[in-house]
Amino acid sequence: MNIVVLVKQVPDTWSERKLTDADHTLDREAADAVLDEINERAVEEALRIKEAQGGEVTVVSMGPDRATDAIRKALSMGADKAVHVSDEALHGSDAVQTARVLAKAIGTVEGYDLILAGNEATDGRAGAVPAMIAELLGLPQLTQARKVSFDGSTVTVERETEEGLTTVQASLPAVVSVTEKINEPRYPSFKGIMAAKKKPVNTVTVADLGIDAGEVGLAGALTTVLEAAPKPPRTAGERVEDDGTGGTKIAEYLVGQKLI
Amino acid sequence: MDFSLSDEQREIRDWVRTFVRREIMPLEPEVLRRERRGEPGLTHEEHRELRQKAKQAGFWGVLTPQEYGGMGLPAVMAALIEAELGRSFVPFRFGGYADNILFHANEEQKQRYLLPTIAGERISCFAITEPGAGSDAKNIRTSARKDGADWVINGEKTFITGGNEADFAMVFAVTDKDKGAAGGVTCFLVDRDMGWKSEPIDTMGEWGPASLIFDNVRVPEENVLGEVGRGFQLAMQWIGQGRYLLPARALGACERLVEMAIEQSKTRVTFGEPIANRQAIQWMIADSAVEIEALRWLVLHAAWQVDQGMDSRQAQSMAKLYGGVKANEIVDRVLQIHGGMGYTRELPVERWYRELRLLRIYEGTDEIQRRTIARNLIKGHASVRGVLG
Repeated sequence: MNIVVLVKQVPDTWSERKLTDADHTLDREAADAVLDEINERAVEEALRIKEAQGGEVTVVSMGPDRATDAIRKALSMGADKAVHVSDEALHGSDAVQTARVLAKAIGTVEGYDLILAGNEATDGRAGAVPAMIAELLGLPQLTQARKVSFDGSTVTVERETEEGLTTVQASLPAVVSVTEKINEPRYPSFKGIMAAKKKPVNTVTVADLGIDAGEVGLAGALTTVLEAAPKPPRTAGERVEDDGTGGTKIAEYLVGQKLI
Repeated sequence: MDFSLSDEQREIRDWVRTFVRREIMPLEPEVLRRERRGEPGLTHEEHRELRQKAKQAGFWGVLTPQEYGGMGLPAVMAALIEAELGRSFVPFRFGGYADNILFHANEEQKQRYLLPTIAGERISCFAITEPGAGSDAKNIRTSARKDGADWVINGEKTFITGGNEADFAMVFAVTDKDKGAAGGVTCFLVDRDMGWKSEPIDTMGEWGPASLIFDNVRVPEENVLGEVGRGFQLAMQWIGQGRYLLPARALGACERLVEMAIEQSKTRVTFGEPIANRQAIQWMIADSAVEIEALRWLVLHAAWQVDQGMDSRQAQSMAKLYGGVKANEIVDRVLQIHGGMGYTRELPVERWYRELRLLRIYEGTDEIQRRTIARNLIKGHASVRGVLG
């Protein structure tokens, strides 16, 4: 089975993440950049499927030059090759534009049976790109998967949402997005790291994909960020002394905050 | 002059960074709780499991040659890895390691000592220090006397790292009193079941060395490591191995500590303002950051000299001295910035405060490093212009 995995480089959730003052886009200098953890799980799932069924795993990513680090990590884990869409015109693209570009980039990969993605990136958190890509490519979408299995050309997914668990099926090719329950991603191996630099990475611009630069980027985005404010500093919190009623007090507090 | 990392260096460094975050740091609260109860922070079983997990990804024997199953990485990479590990106070190390002098063992000894040590099946300790001989190692008095086909060892070793856990020791004993260090000291591989005893020494930190007692311990001739009378050269070679790794670990600790201090200074509000706005706090942070930067490059430069096959002793002594002195100044400032909380055992700052103190003492005290550095300069073996001339 030939699999395309969508990956994204995101600001490390361990560092302080910020938006730039100028255009409210991500301040890429403010935080370390890493392969999004949810994408590690998507790559892991792809590798497990490949190990069971054979085939090839292609990583597709859209991002600035330094996103090559995230791509290399996926290759270190065991993916075979990559397509990297890198173009300054993409700066500030929103979810719809991103989906359009990625759909085109996926089109450069020959003979794929499955497109895997994380259900939601830890930075943008739109959680919509996999579904949009499925729509653009005319493929079935199976999102929020916590388990994926195959029977011939049928893919079955356990889909977990706040509403509960559903089992959904589709015929391949299909788009599947995974949640963090899907698996525990492997660490890249030392050998994998050394081998990754020899794996092919096809770097393309939007023009290479037949997209007009005016269709992408901040100016043409369908959504606009009007205002952004840093998160308020952490406050001291409330201390509950447990004199036997600690549980009740905590419950009361949470009810007061409308959290339960 | 290129100060950047290669792609491979960065990826290996980031691998270790991720491993420390995901596998090591989550253990920190429990390690602190256990230590408050007087228990070991990390059990042998936990340490072994972590090592196996890393081994599955090939992270095993960072400096061990590839023909022995290790990664055979250069010193610069080893220093970068050590700094990442130092960011947690959990005393984790990758497995697959053996003391450099064990590689001088003959083929038969390699099977019995070197390979099982690399595999983690046997634990070694290096025993030269005595109550009357530390940095002045030439003064050792532990003796080995030939009796038939055996050697009989008598004496006491002290402050032996790993001495409580080891099942064999590399013991340095005087075999010819007249020759002393110049041909009169021999290194023996001595199994614990040959009869030596160990006694733990309590310290102010996590380091738990031992005293080793040798009372007529019989060692067969085949357990001489290297040649009879050539032990002191082996000892010097052991002492010279990887000294840069000690300040590398402290570098990681300092980075984390100052990050904690910055976070604390931004959240702690006094008299209506975060203490980060106070010049007194800013100067502490600034000085610490400058010193961390200096330490980073001293460590990496010493490691680079090792990789270049240069005589790195001056650079290693400088890195070790500076690391010991500055790490202690930095942890003191970080504790100060945390105020009363820093002094409690709720936070790991006081633990690092005790732990880092050791760096000024073991593997050559500050004073010994200064002596080495000064002597190299006075005798003309090194220049204050450094390697650039």
